[in-house]
This record gives sequence, structure tokens and C-alpha cells, in this order.
Amino acid sequence: MGSISTRRLAKELRELSLECPTGIKILSANDFHTWRLSIEVMGDSLYQGQVFALQFIFDAQYPIASPEVTFVSDEHYKAPIHPHVYSNGHICASILGTEWSPILSVAAVCVTMQSMLASCKKLERPPDNDRYVRHAPKSPKNTRFVYDDDTV
Amino acid sequence: MKVTVKRWHAIAQWQWDTGTRSDPNTEQEGAGNQTQNDDDEDGDGDVCGICRVAYEGCCPTCKVPGDDCPLIWGECSHVFHMHCLLKWIGTAASKQQCPMDRRTWVTAERKVAAS
Repeated sequence: MGSISTRRLAKELRELSLECPTGIKILSANDFHTWRLSIEVMGDSLYQGQVFALQFIFDAQYPIASPEVTFVSDEHYKAPIHPHVYSNGHICASILGTEWSPILSVAAVCVTMQSMLASCKKLERPPDNDRYVRHAPKSPKNTRFVYDDDTV
Repeated sequence: MKVTVKRWHAIAQWQWDTGTRSDPNTEQEGAGNQTQNDDDEDGDGDVCGICRVAYEGCCPTCKVPGDDCPLIWGECSHVFHMHCLLKWIGTAASKQQCPMDRRTWVTAERKVAAS
């Protein structure tokens, strides 16, 4: 407690409780370590009617350090089938890695994920999904992703 | 010793001159100050983009606002609490870039001429 992350997250939580972006809902935010939010893609998309869950894990240095963000894959939620989302929920997105900025927020990440899904043209896993998932570190922050596709 | 504040009477207030506000002279005229202060509480206007605390507040590691927790201006015109920005610039992940526009951070010598 009292860390840089606590005050910032308390503020974000207050704002999210007042008004979440469309299609985003808080599932759980009982502490300042792990939050879960549900995410739905609004309008026409390949994911119509599907609800996904994003898990955020913050360390004490958030927002200087990026949060660890994954799609939940358990008995209730499945990671979306998307060329940048591995079946274990890990996401290959530059803003969660090398392009993180401390002005980003939980809401901003959720909205980015929404638009990543919204612009998807074909339901498929990343080409190296099986190999990656077999050897993936527990946290995607320990993966060195190569961001080579700006189209989706 | 425990002190309970029963009443207080403000006789002055201060603001950082971030150069983004309208003419500071008009703001000093009475009621204008009150609304200006309310804006800060809204959170969206004049807050540090990193910690989301008002410029006139202090960064999360400081306890007292003011000269000990100053602002820093970039040549790109973006403003942050100095401590917040230095924490970011001190990480390898920052690549020394401004959090707002990802341009290489260059601290401005003096952002606005004294009015």
C-alpha cells in the first residue's frame, strides 16, 4: 500500500465505477493487484455475441511499469480466436510491451483490445500458437514479441 | 499530540503557471479562482498524465505540494510532475521518450515567459 500504483489505481477504479467505456464491465477489482474486466466488441464484428475477460496484474510500479494483461482462459471464458491472441490468453500487442506509456490506463488498454478484435478479418490463431503455448513463460511480460503486423 | 482542525480561512492560493490557462490576471479576479479550482478536482483538465493527480497536488511519493514537488516541461510542450517523469525516463522501457507523443524527451529551459 501507499505505492505509486495504489493511488493511481484507486483513481482509475473510481472513474470506471462511474462510467465504463461501452462494452467494458468490471468483473472484479477487489485489490490493487489483480483486476478482471469483461469485454465485448460493439457493432459488426467476427465476435458478435461473445464476451471475453481481460485480466490485469499490476506491480507496485504501475503505471511506470506496464501491467501484465492476458485474456482469461478458464471454464467460463475463452481467449478470442485472433491472429495476435495465443490460446493461453497471451496477447501480442505493442502497447503492452515495448510501446507501453504511463499515460495509458486500464480503460485505454480495454478499448485498444476492443478495436483490435473489431478490426479482425479472419478467425485464426497466431501461426506459431502451438509452439509458443508449449514453451510460454507464465507472464507474457517475459516474452519478447515481435510486432510485425499492423493490419489487425 | 492530536490536532483537530475546526475551522480554516484561506487567504491566498497558488497555481503552477503551465502556460495553458487563459490570462492569469483575469483569473485572479475573484470568483474565477473558485471555478478554476473545481476543474482540478474533475481530474481531466490539469492533471499529471502519469499519476493523474492535479499539477497543484504532488506526485504519489511526495507529501507536500509546492516547490519540493515541481513540474517539468518538455520542449514538446507536455507537462508532468518532475518526479513522475524522472521515474519514467529512468526506466529502459521509456526509451527516453515523452509519454504523450513518444518523441525524445528534451526538458525545456523555461516554458513560458513571465507574464
